[in-house]
Amino acid sequence: MKKFWRVIAYEYTRHVLRKRFIFAILSVPFFALFMIAIVVITFILETNTTPIGYVDHSGLLANPLPAPKPAAPDKPVPVQAFASEEEARSALQAGDLQAYYVLESDYLDTSRARLVYIHEPKRPAREQFTSFIAVNLLANYPPEIATRVIDGDKLIVRSPDGKREMSSSAWFSIMLPFVAGIAFFMAIFTSAGYIMQAVVEEKENRTMEIVVTSVSPNQLMMGKTLADIAIGLTQLLSWVLILVVPVWIARPYIPMLSTIAVPPESLLLILAVMLPTFVMLGGLMAAIGATVTESREGQQIVGLFTMPTWIPYFLIYPLMSAPNSPLAVVMSFIPFTSPLTLIIRSGFTVLPFWQIVLGVIILVVCAAGSLWLAGRAFRLGMLSYGKRLPFLDIFRRQVQA
Amino acid sequence: MNSVEISHIVKTFGSLRAVDDVSFAVDKGEIFGLLGPNGAGKTTAIRVILDIFKPDSGEVVVLGGPMTEAKKDRIGYMPEDRGLYQDINLERCLIYLASLKGMDPAAARRQIGEYLERFDLAAYKHKKVKELSKGMQQKAQLITTLVHKPDLLIVDEPFSGLDPVNTQMVKDLLDEQRARGVTIIMSTHQMHQVEELCDRIVLIDHGKVMLYGNLEEIRRRFSGHAVLVRATGNLPTVPGIIQSEPHNSATRLMLSPTTSPQDVLRALVAQNVNIEQFEVALPTLDEIFIRVVQGEESET
Repeated sequence: MKKFWRVIAYEYTRHVLRKRFIFAILSVPFFALFMIAIVVITFILETNTTPIGYVDHSGLLANPLPAPKPAAPDKPVPVQAFASEEEARSALQAGDLQAYYVLESDYLDTSRARLVYIHEPKRPAREQFTSFIAVNLLANYPPEIATRVIDGDKLIVRSPDGKREMSSSAWFSIMLPFVAGIAFFMAIFTSAGYIMQAVVEEKENRTMEIVVTSVSPNQLMMGKTLADIAIGLTQLLSWVLILVVPVWIARPYIPMLSTIAVPPESLLLILAVMLPTFVMLGGLMAAIGATVTESREGQQIVGLFTMPTWIPYFLIYPLMSAPNSPLAVVMSFIPFTSPLTLIIRSGFTVLPFWQIVLGVIILVVCAAGSLWLAGRAFRLGMLSYGKRLPFLDIFRRQVQA
Repeated sequence: MNSVEISHIVKTFGSLRAVDDVSFAVDKGEIFGLLGPNGAGKTTAIRVILDIFKPDSGEVVVLGGPMTEAKKDRIGYMPEDRGLYQDINLERCLIYLASLKGMDPAAARRQIGEYLERFDLAAYKHKKVKELSKGMQQKAQLITTLVHKPDLLIVDEPFSGLDPVNTQMVKDLLDEQRARGVTIIMSTHQMHQVEELCDRIVLIDHGKVMLYGNLEEIRRRFSGHAVLVRATGNLPTVPGIIQSEPHNSATRLMLSPTTSPQDVLRALVAQNVNIEQFEVALPTLDEIFIRVVQGEESET
C-alpha cells in the first residue's frame, strides 16, 4: 500500500510542481481578467465626456431635472443648454460640444428630435441624453411610476413546475452550465491527457518492465490514474478559488454580482454527468497510451475522441432554440455528446427525469467498458516497446499478464 | 537450497511457443548463465520468473515459493531494454525507483549517494537523465538494480554499452555480490564473460533447453577427444593420432577412439620430447554455443 501512495505522490508532484502546470492554472483566470479588462477599456474609450448640447423650442426643458447618473463603467457626459441653434453650432464647430439635439416646438406631439454632429456621438452620450429627456418627460409623475418606467421591462421565464426561473438579471443560471461544462471538460482533458502520457512515458522510457517488478500493474495504474485525476481536480479547484472567491468577496459591493446563485440541481446534474465522463475518457486515454509508441502519436488519436465531445458546442444554437428536439434528445444518449448536450439543455428546458437517468446510465456503462478496455490494452501493450498495438488486437488477443 | 527453480514451464504467444518445457534451478550464491541466440526465449523465461508473464503450464519457485509482492523487494532486475525516467534529474529518478523497492526515501538517498560516488556519477545527480551518456545511464541502471540490496539479481546483458574500464567494474561488482551470497542470473551473448564469471549455465534455443549444468563439465563433454601440445621443436609421429593442426602457438592433436590422452603423453615422453604444455583440448563456450545452436549437439 505504501508503494501505491509513492506512485501517487511521484506522479502528482511531477506534474503539479512543473512550471507549465502552474502556468496552465494561472493562464485561465489571467485570460478571463484580460477579456474583462478589454471590455472595460472599450467602454471607457467609448465614453467621450465632451458635453452634449441641446436647443429646446418645445419648453420641455425650461427648468430641467438633472440627468441620472450613468451605470458604471460609463462616465457622465455633461448636458448643456443653448438658447439658439447658431450658438450651439458655433460651440460644436469650436469643439466645445460633441453634438447637439434640437427639440422642435411640436416635440411633445411628435417625440422627434434632430441630432446635429460632425462626428457621430457614441452610445454613452446618446443613452445619457435619452435618460435626461425621459427624466424630464416623467417629471410630473409620482416618483415610483417614473422610476418604474425608466427601469424598463423585466422579463422572467419560469418553468412549468415553478422550480426554475430565468431573467436578464439572473443571467448566471443560464451561464453556469456553459461555464461549468467548459471548466469540467478542460479539467477532464487535462487529467485524461496526463493519464495517457503516464502510460506512454513508461513505454517511451522503457521503465515499465522495471516498475512492474517492483509494484503490481494494478497498483501502478491505479496510483497513476488517481494522481492524474487529482491533478485535474487541483486545476479545477484552483480556477474556482481564483475566480469565485473574488466574486464572492465583491458581492456586497457590486449589485450585478448579487444575482449570482448556483442552483443545487444544476450542480447535481453536472456531477452526475461529469464523473462517469471523467472515468470514461480517462480509461480511453489510458488504452490509447498503452497502444501507441510515443505521446505525439497518442495526441493525434486523442483528437478522434475529443472532437465528438465538443459537437454540442458547435450545435449550440439548435440546442438552445429547440432543447427538446429529436436531435437534442438523441445526442443526450450518445456517450461522447451526451455530457455537454445534457448540461446545455438543462439551461433552457426542464429535462425529463428519465432522459437524465438514461443518459447517466449509458455514461456509467461506457465508463466501465472503458476501464475494461484500458486494463486489456495495458496488459497487452505494456511491454511492446517501440511497437504499436493495433487497437482491434485488444479484443482479439489473449491477455498475457 | 535453490534460489530459483522452474519446472517444465511452457509459454505460448498465439502460435509461437516461446518457452517449451523449460526446467532449471539456480543455486543460492552462484552466478548462473542464461544463454541462447536472439529470440531463443531467454527474456520470456526471465519474465516468467519475475511473474510479468504467467506460464501456460509448469511451476516457478522463487526464493523458496511462488512470487509475491513482498518478494519483489528482494529482487534486482536489469532488463535488456534499459529504462529510466528521462525527464527528471538522476537522483530523483533513482530515489523513486528505490522507494518502489520498499526503501525509505531518506535511506535510499544516502545509499544512492554512495553508489553515485563509486560510479563517478555524483557530479551528475542533478542533471536530467536524458542528458547523461549511454554509459552513464547504464551505470545508473545498475544502481537501481543493486541499491536495495537484493537477494536475487537478474541482469540481462549487463556489459552492453560499457567501455573496458566499466566492464571490469561491473565484473568486480558481480563478484562482490556473489561473495555477499547474492544469487545472480546473467543473460549475455558475451561468452568469455560467462566463462569468466558463471558457475553453471543453461542454453536455450527455440524455447527448449539445449544444455544445462556445470560449465566445466559441459566443456569437457564437448572436448571432442583431442589434446593441445606445445613443445620445443617439431612434434614426432605418435601412434593413435588421426589429425594434427596448429592451434595458436600449440598443436591440436585429434585422437583415434581407442587412444587416450595418457597414451599420447606417454609416447611423447618416451621420445624425449621437451613438452611445454599438454592439456586436454576443451572447446570455448563460443564454439559450444555455435555447435549447439547449429544443431551438432543437443541435450534434452
